[in-house]
Amino acid sequence: MTRKRSITPYTFLLPALVVLGIFVVYPIIAVIYYSFTDYDIATPPVWVGLDNYAKLLGDETFRLALVHSFVYLLVTPILIFLSIVLAIVVNRRMRGIHIFRALYFVPAVSGSIAIGLAWKWLFDRNGLINSVLQSWGVITVPIQWLATPSLVLPIAMLLTTWAGVGFYSVIFLAGLQNIPEELYDAALIDGCTNFQKHRYVSIPGLRPQIVFVAVISSLAALKVFDEIYVLTNRTGGILDSGVTMVFYLWKEAFQLSNAGYASAIAIALLAITLVFSVFNVRILESRDEGAT
Amino acid sequence: MTTAGMAQIAEPVAVIQAKRKRRTRRSVVSSGLWYIVLIAIAVITVFPFFWMLMTSLKGPGDPVYSIPPQFIPSDPSLGAYQRVLAALPIPTYFLNSLIVAVSVGALNVLVAAMAAYPLAKMRFFGRDAIFYALLATLIVPAQLTYIPSFVLSVNVFHYYNTLAALIFPNLVSAFNIFLLRQAFRSVPNDLIDAARVDGAGEWRIWWSILLPIVRPSLAAVAIFTFVTSWNDFLWPSLMLHTPNGLTLPVGLAALQSFFQSDFRSIAAGVTITVVPILLFFIVVQRYFVKGLAGAVKG
Repeated sequence: MTRKRSITPYTFLLPALVVLGIFVVYPIIAVIYYSFTDYDIATPPVWVGLDNYAKLLGDETFRLALVHSFVYLLVTPILIFLSIVLAIVVNRRMRGIHIFRALYFVPAVSGSIAIGLAWKWLFDRNGLINSVLQSWGVITVPIQWLATPSLVLPIAMLLTTWAGVGFYSVIFLAGLQNIPEELYDAALIDGCTNFQKHRYVSIPGLRPQIVFVAVISSLAALKVFDEIYVLTNRTGGILDSGVTMVFYLWKEAFQLSNAGYASAIAIALLAITLVFSVFNVRILESRDEGAT
Repeated sequence: MTTAGMAQIAEPVAVIQAKRKRRTRRSVVSSGLWYIVLIAIAVITVFPFFWMLMTSLKGPGDPVYSIPPQFIPSDPSLGAYQRVLAALPIPTYFLNSLIVAVSVGALNVLVAAMAAYPLAKMRFFGRDAIFYALLATLIVPAQLTYIPSFVLSVNVFHYYNTLAALIFPNLVSAFNIFLLRQAFRSVPNDLIDAARVDGAGEWRIWWSILLPIVRPSLAAVAIFTFVTSWNDFLWPSLMLHTPNGLTLPVGLAALQSFFQSDFRSIAAGVTITVVPILLFFIVVQRYFVKGLAGAVKG
């Protein structure tokens, strides 16, 4: 360990700090300022005090976006459960298992716009799902899946889950492979069933990965945008049925040129994420044996 | 739990071996069942892409919507691909995406590896403050910064509507710094001290000792950042507006409004854009998965 006072550490850090200063720290300060102004990006901001926040409180669409973003968090526990199950399924030595693992990863690397379009095509009025349901006689008239307000959000959440399971299960798979074989042998001797073996050995052994995936996937759920954008044809859905916090922020800032008001939405989003994360980050950090 | 488990396996080794033997005999029967499960899951993950591919290949004689659905085209045609390539400069989009993703991937490795070294292996004033500030930026949703970043791009940096607008704001991420810091910390201090005794400077140590040792982590950061940048949509869609200057995801979104209900063409567009990144992923899969897994060691 070097103890001497020198500028070397700072020169190593300089490029990163400059970039993050300009593109993360400054924007946060600026967005706080903009949230107190009437601003359309083209003309200079005009100070309006707390007007934007007052408007926020009475804004029905904002309330809806807030509810939708919280509902979207349901994706997190579902993702964790399914990803662990998938990790257990692929955690065995079998011929060709690597091919299957790669196939499960396909949605994660394909890009949200591509998979969004693929799903839109499945759920289209003239899409495959209607076609299959009709040929089975389940329905007689095609369902307008993405034009039904109560279905937009669930379909987007299903899409997020489908795309995420392969990705997160890789993390759980690595965790499973770190669990010593002896623990499973002990469980076997104790007469554990297969289910009990995973309940009492795998799940506790995966705790760090569960925390990590919970943090990452809930942060991702709070800022979902691409799925909604594609599935609703950039409208946010009929009656704003698919509008999330970030979608509303985007619409106000870049479609309606209300950057001041959008900044207030951004601050609300930041506040929620902070409250949500302070707790989570503590857990993450407690695993990181204090720096020397 | 560990010690209890250890104590118990000490004696009845024979029991375990017997159970394992029974397991192997049974596994011959059950492995067939497992393959059915594995294939069923693969169908769920891959099917939407398969349906896209089949739709894109359907010729004029094949209905895109029928009851029951027609999966395999009876009159296959590449007409949809020709329409897409005629309407949009897909090769240009591909090149644009490649320029951005390669630059962002390479520069992230460089800048993050530089920042990670002092944070992992040096003592200096403000280190912990800087580290926690970096951690804090992980929480901030990127979309929150887009309004000021948009203003900067137009008024200060003048790179609005150019590819530079996608590269500069993404030069480094705190996540990558964090990941490489963890990797550097696993390098023994003795190695670094020995180099110092031999008179090597910090830059020399960083370049010739640390970087070669953590090469797998560097590869993981490069690949992870490349794929993220390649698939990024919201910020590029705000920055890019000239018909020839788009990246693939932005072009793909444009395709959707361009072809409206011509599903054969939209499907062809999706297929064209998904295939390159899938091929890339298959080639680098080993490093990517290893790096992703290594990022969260328990």
